[in-house]
Amino acid sequence: MSKAWERSVPVFDIPILTRPFVALCTLGIVACGLVLYREIVGLGPASGMNDAYAWGIWKTFNIMALTGLGSGGFSIGIATWLFGRRRLHSVMRTAVISSFLVYASGLMLLGIDVGRPWNFLWILAPWRWNVHSPMLEVGFCMPLYTAVPLFLEAIPPVLEWVHSRWPELESTVEMAEGILKRIYPWVLGLAFLLPAMHQSSLGALMLLAGNQVHPLWQTPCLPLLYVWAASFMGFAFVSVVLMICHLIWGRPLDVDVLREMSRITAWIIATWLAFRFADLALRGRLPLAVEISAPSALFWMETLSLMAAASMLAVASRKHNVRLAFQGSLLAALGGILYRFDPTTLAFQPRAGAFYFPTAIELLIDLGFLSLAIASFSLLAKALPILPASNRLWHVMESARWNGAILHPRQADYKQYAAAD
Amino acid sequence: MEITRRHLLGGMAKGAATVFAAGSVSSVALAESSKPEEKPQASQAAIAMLYDATQCIGCQSCVAACAKANSLTPDTKLDRLHQAPHDLNDTAKSVVKLYKPADGSPYSYVKQQCMHCVDPACVAACLFKALKKDAVTGIVTWNGSLCVGCRYCEIVCPYHIPKFQWHGINPKIVKCEFCKERLAHGSDPACTSVCPTHAVIFGKRTSLLEEAKLRIAKNPGKYYQERVFGEREGGGTQVFYLTRAPFEKLGLPKLGNESIPGKYLKWQKRMYSYLLFPAALYAGIVFITRKNWNRHEKHLKEEEKATGLRPQL
Repeated sequence: MSKAWERSVPVFDIPILTRPFVALCTLGIVACGLVLYREIVGLGPASGMNDAYAWGIWKTFNIMALTGLGSGGFSIGIATWLFGRRRLHSVMRTAVISSFLVYASGLMLLGIDVGRPWNFLWILAPWRWNVHSPMLEVGFCMPLYTAVPLFLEAIPPVLEWVHSRWPELESTVEMAEGILKRIYPWVLGLAFLLPAMHQSSLGALMLLAGNQVHPLWQTPCLPLLYVWAASFMGFAFVSVVLMICHLIWGRPLDVDVLREMSRITAWIIATWLAFRFADLALRGRLPLAVEISAPSALFWMETLSLMAAASMLAVASRKHNVRLAFQGSLLAALGGILYRFDPTTLAFQPRAGAFYFPTAIELLIDLGFLSLAIASFSLLAKALPILPASNRLWHVMESARWNGAILHPRQADYKQYAAAD
Repeated sequence: MEITRRHLLGGMAKGAATVFAAGSVSSVALAESSKPEEKPQASQAAIAMLYDATQCIGCQSCVAACAKANSLTPDTKLDRLHQAPHDLNDTAKSVVKLYKPADGSPYSYVKQQCMHCVDPACVAACLFKALKKDAVTGIVTWNGSLCVGCRYCEIVCPYHIPKFQWHGINPKIVKCEFCKERLAHGSDPACTSVCPTHAVIFGKRTSLLEEAKLRIAKNPGKYYQERVFGEREGGGTQVFYLTRAPFEKLGLPKLGNESIPGKYLKWQKRMYSYLLFPAALYAGIVFITRKNWNRHEKHLKEEEKATGLRPQL
């Protein structure tokens, strides 16, 4: 049964240029204009950042929090390739492409955020490195991960597209695939090692902020908690992406894969919560969680949403409840975002009276880059074989193509076939 | 460094998070083999400043001298008239503030500028060593041709010293550099050379520490906690404070005696020492993925035979 699902098929029956797609691209263009403004006038007039809150949402939200969502390629990859959960192989492409886009948009925002980007070229000069700086680790590892393992992992669908588009290039495509196959295990090794390094270093970044980070969050285990959170966030995000895509584009979805992902996510969250509480208890910080204060309210928002997420996902996987799986995954993603965002901003207290709230420009640039990422995903999912599907759907696509109706075969046709799977 | 149970558990948990049994074993082994890290000490030639708040009359001469020596034009936000910056910013490397409690307990001025920590968090944080601590004098300087402008130094500095230029296309990090140009010409730092009451004085770190302790001994009960701020705080600084008012009220936080990098980067340093742990991890991962990859390739071939469809990687 599950073998029939181990194929990726493009979303072939829906045009690329839809109204939402154009809207997303427009937001992206607006953002590019605003970036120009930011580069000319400097960060002060364009953003809400100041000397107390020197980091704004581009770093604290897109890099510190959202790249956790972009860790599907990391955590699902580990489950697939290290723990031999081969069934998850069918969602790897979705995971890799979504990870790539989240990382790419985050890195672009990082480039806009830094004040003297030209000096980043020193990354090519090892003698300039401060090897003990977590910032160097992040600055080196994150672009490397995006440019090498994530990029290479995203190549096979492109090669397949080239092959179907220009059959005469078959030998070239096969040669490229042969090379990829040979280096793939080594690439996968990097695809797991590098995120483990930089996702934990993101936590290490806040270590050096010392007691400016509220004690409910500040702990020597911050790097571990960050990478651990990234692993459930990756699972949860890919589940959400899959369900949303398949809902919007009306494709059947393998519920067994969803169940497995829900179950694993629930377990990672449960162990993460247990570890977090053990850490707080060992350091004697639990009393801070029960007093009535803004930080403790934040703490319980994170904790309760993740507890709820874990239980919903556990029930969902046992009872085959897709709706609950969706809600649970969404909650897990949000809880993870909140946990990773808090130590940088809401639970970061540089001094009394300090205040930061992003400006409209900051928000619009952020929104624009995220819109571009979403638009790119929809484009790629329609052009390349990325989303999981059954072999049956592949045949429907092929026959649709032979009939010259690649873009608009009647949806009902394949839905009827799909029901047979 | 003694290995406590919590460190050991922490190390094992870190290994577990990267999900390999092999990982946890090697991380513990690494922790055992790593030598005790030496605490950074100020060099014998290290220079320093001693600021005695009980002698400061708040005249702001030092602020004006600092601005002049550094060719800065401080803002006039405070009274819209005089160039008296209300806080450290990109046009003010040193400011004097007044702490005046409502309950009538003793007021105090406080001078703020870079503390030139013995083991600075900003230097540990800086990715290309744009912020650098001089090995002899101990001055922490900024190099614009290496700085990326990430502002991590602003996040990590416990005294909130480095300031960023928020305007323009070539923003700089602005902080006190101990008037290094003046020192090179044989003169004292601007602020210490103009103080009319000698509230802030310049000298060798060792001799100023002696001087500060002497003042405490001569005036029992005068100074807060009979203590020099900067001797050990956060691993020690190269600016000392003697005050009547509590240090915490004057923007000098409670830090403990360990330096921030020493306290918080311990594990980070061990995990990445010579990249041994990442390399071992990589070897372990590749070992397992290769096995699973071979199984996957076999499976792909079977599938191709069964379905007649081109295999997808």
